[in-house]
Amino acid sequence: MMTIVKEGTFGPAEAIILLAISSSARMFLTYPRSLVETAGSAAWLTPLGGLAVALAGVYVMSLVLKKNPDKSIVEITEEAWGPVIGTVFNLVTVTFFMAVSALFIREFTEALIIAALPRTPISVISIVFISIGLLGAYLGIEAMARSARLSYLYVLGGIAILLLALIPQWNIHNLFPLLGCGPLQVFGAGAYSTAAITEIILAAVLVQSMGGADKFSSIGYKAMLFGFGLLFALMLTLNLSINKEVAEEISLPFYRLSRSIYLGRFFQRIEAIFVIIWSIIGALKIALTLYGASVTLARTLKLPDYRPLIWPLGLAIFIFSFLPLDMPTAVRLDFEFLRPYALLPSYVIPLFVLAAFWLKGRGKRAGS
Amino acid sequence: MNILKQLLEFVSYRENIDREGFILKETKDDQKSPESSDKSTKNQKTKPRGRTFKKPVRPSDITKKNNTKNTQEYYETTSSSLEENRKAVGKLYGLPDNKDVVIRDFMIGTSDGVRAFAVFIDGMTDKTLQDFLFQSLMVFAKRPLQTGKEKLAGMVRESLLPANQATLKSRFSDILDAVNYGDTALFFDGCADVLLVETKGWEHRPVEKPTSEQIIRGPHEAFTETLRANTALLRKSIRNEQLTTDIVQVGERDRRYVAIMYLRDLANKDLVAEVKRRVKSIRTDSVLGGGILEELIEDNPYNLTPTSLVTERPDRVAAGILDGRVALIIDGSPFVTVVPSTMYEQLHTGEELYHRWQYGTFIRLLRALAFLLSFLLPGLYLSVVLFHQEMIPTELLLAIAGARERVPFPSVVEVLLMEFSFELIREAGLRIPSVMGTTIGIVGALILGQAAVQANIVSPILVILVAVTGLSSFAIPYHSLAFSLRIYRFMYIFLGATLGFYGLAMGLFAQIILTANLKSFGVPFLAPTGPKTMAGPDIVFRLPMFFHERRPDYLNPQDIKRQPKVSRGWIRQNGGDDNS
Repeated sequence: MMTIVKEGTFGPAEAIILLAISSSARMFLTYPRSLVETAGSAAWLTPLGGLAVALAGVYVMSLVLKKNPDKSIVEITEEAWGPVIGTVFNLVTVTFFMAVSALFIREFTEALIIAALPRTPISVISIVFISIGLLGAYLGIEAMARSARLSYLYVLGGIAILLLALIPQWNIHNLFPLLGCGPLQVFGAGAYSTAAITEIILAAVLVQSMGGADKFSSIGYKAMLFGFGLLFALMLTLNLSINKEVAEEISLPFYRLSRSIYLGRFFQRIEAIFVIIWSIIGALKIALTLYGASVTLARTLKLPDYRPLIWPLGLAIFIFSFLPLDMPTAVRLDFEFLRPYALLPSYVIPLFVLAAFWLKGRGKRAGS
Repeated sequence: MNILKQLLEFVSYRENIDREGFILKETKDDQKSPESSDKSTKNQKTKPRGRTFKKPVRPSDITKKNNTKNTQEYYETTSSSLEENRKAVGKLYGLPDNKDVVIRDFMIGTSDGVRAFAVFIDGMTDKTLQDFLFQSLMVFAKRPLQTGKEKLAGMVRESLLPANQATLKSRFSDILDAVNYGDTALFFDGCADVLLVETKGWEHRPVEKPTSEQIIRGPHEAFTETLRANTALLRKSIRNEQLTTDIVQVGERDRRYVAIMYLRDLANKDLVAEVKRRVKSIRTDSVLGGGILEELIEDNPYNLTPTSLVTERPDRVAAGILDGRVALIIDGSPFVTVVPSTMYEQLHTGEELYHRWQYGTFIRLLRALAFLLSFLLPGLYLSVVLFHQEMIPTELLLAIAGARERVPFPSVVEVLLMEFSFELIREAGLRIPSVMGTTIGIVGALILGQAAVQANIVSPILVILVAVTGLSSFAIPYHSLAFSLRIYRFMYIFLGATLGFYGLAMGLFAQIILTANLKSFGVPFLAPTGPKTMAGPDIVFRLPMFFHERRPDYLNPQDIKRQPKVSRGWIRQNGGDDNS
């Protein structure tokens, strides 16, 4: 197996937390609003369909990874489809990571301008973000996993405070009609939207650092349950606290929710504290996707070290993040381009790889 | 004529030829460098873009070269001729210029009257011991010489000299090492062996109370500057024959002893081997203290955070050794380094174990809060005041605004001014002679506190803030860690003032990831939380002693079990008779 310098290893607990936190980063942006637009008052039920799809995705990916337990999805794809098509597939994954990173930086930066730093130039926020991403990616996945493991309690604690402090504003009537815009929208379009934010492909790239293919399915299932559980709880709180008509109008629903917290004269408007939690999750997500892109590219090009790629990829991501004209464009790109694109590396390519192995196996059997 | 000459000297100008006085001229080594730089410029002409590097020379090589030039090469081993040995010692020590090296000639009182001389350094030896030594050889040695002169040293060691440590050596390097360290070397006529007698007895500080790590309960002893006293303090704490002291000499010019102490049947063998490998590999002129050694052996010297624990308390070192760690004791340093070390351990004082467990846990939680406040508080204040005013309840906001109204500086300048002044007080307080110590209190309390507020230089709330930050910083028990947080604090001030909470969050993420990346002798610095290993009963919470069943998992000791599942035998029905 090709070894990459400073790849590192970490335990299942760290892996689960890393993947779950990374997949939950999007919740603090415009994503919950798009789910409300899709499913109305039943937006909180959309993660259920997404979870089913994601669990199936983890199962398919685990089947793919078991084809060669010593390697990651990058080498297995190449093994299945040969050096040309395999490399094209792998480049699709690299591009996916870069697209996620670029759009995420843009959306997050815009969100920060709205929430906390209205007079700071966008480039300053972006540069800080990408610098921290570069640092995280340079120090490697081991350090990132440990950081996630260290910070998740504070992150979860912050989310728990957010949810609990909103209890006075809960209104059970906001959940009706129970199936919102209809079952097809809730479990069809909703599942499509939520299944797109999983980190299955990232887990498959990092599989060797997480302890190999044997542990992949157990880590994957738990991470999905954790991530979707979080999404479920947050969406339920959103649906309970704000009715769908208002929620559809808010660009950053959770920022709005944290602003509306009022527990007496002293404990109110705690959105600034959430800026800290959001930013830490955001930085982790950017570092992780940049790391994913660099390692996937290094493995595709069979390089011994991923670190020389961080700087050019980081710079490219930084530039791409400025391509959308404004925040609505970035959000539209996320919805119209990134979500269908996300299905490719996480679900479609693994199925193709399985198909290739199946065809090869049939060819061998027919030949023998 | 003479008077005329003197008059002329009064009215005329005369060049003072001695004006420049003493000039430190370049040594031979320095004079060589222009030649080498000439060569490098010649090389640069042929290879214009390439940089030429002068290969660094190891200090050991330099010493070897110097020694070759001097005398070491010619006097490798002792001779059987007393005159030759005397000449060699004289040359090696630079006698008669070197005034504190003493050569004492005497005759052994045996019937044949053998000539001998002793070499020792004045002030390094115990005079009573030496008197006793000379008495034994000159007055009480009346027996006839039973062996030939060539075996005289052995005979003296076996039957004439009642010293507690006496060895025979014939290499000058061994003899010089021993004499430099307070031993007395005895040379005998006709004998090539030299008898080294342990007579160490220099002036030293006795075992005193710890000065930088004071505790209420627990032993009040601190290490001193003497290596042997320190190893004995540890021996006294850990009464176990498995406690091993390996002594390594470090430094080329100042050959200093470093003791490596560990429990042979407990410490991970790879860890011990790695510590020894790192210490033995050091090539430098001198390792004067723990801090220098620490820098030379630690994994991440560029990170602000210290990755080894330095303490002056023998009980803390003993606790570390009993967990499977390795202690490094440097001769001449009253601080002992313990490796590997984790951040949680650096936030402990060991005193929590001497208190009841509830008090210990309370102190630790308080300290955890102090840890965060010590580097975050000024940054947080600036973020809130400059960017997130909506966070502050209106009444408090009005109070802050009212206090700040008359202050002419921006908040960040105000904070920096106060922090800088506080750092100055701290540093000056440390350096000020103790007789003038009270001055600092007056300056700090009156001038910087009251007067600055009255003069509208700073707002009163900021004085409180800086004081709380300072107190939090002092509550961190490990000086090096507190120091690193002092520097981090200024970074957070900058981040908070420029980017508000977002800046703080980015700083925190960077600090977390940089710290999570640290390793101390192969052990992750944030163990057992990052990475997650088995949770112990003694990390943030200090659980009751009977739960301390296992040693820290991340140290991978040879024996993980500290005590049985039921350590309090008396709670069993049979009264714990089978627990022994």
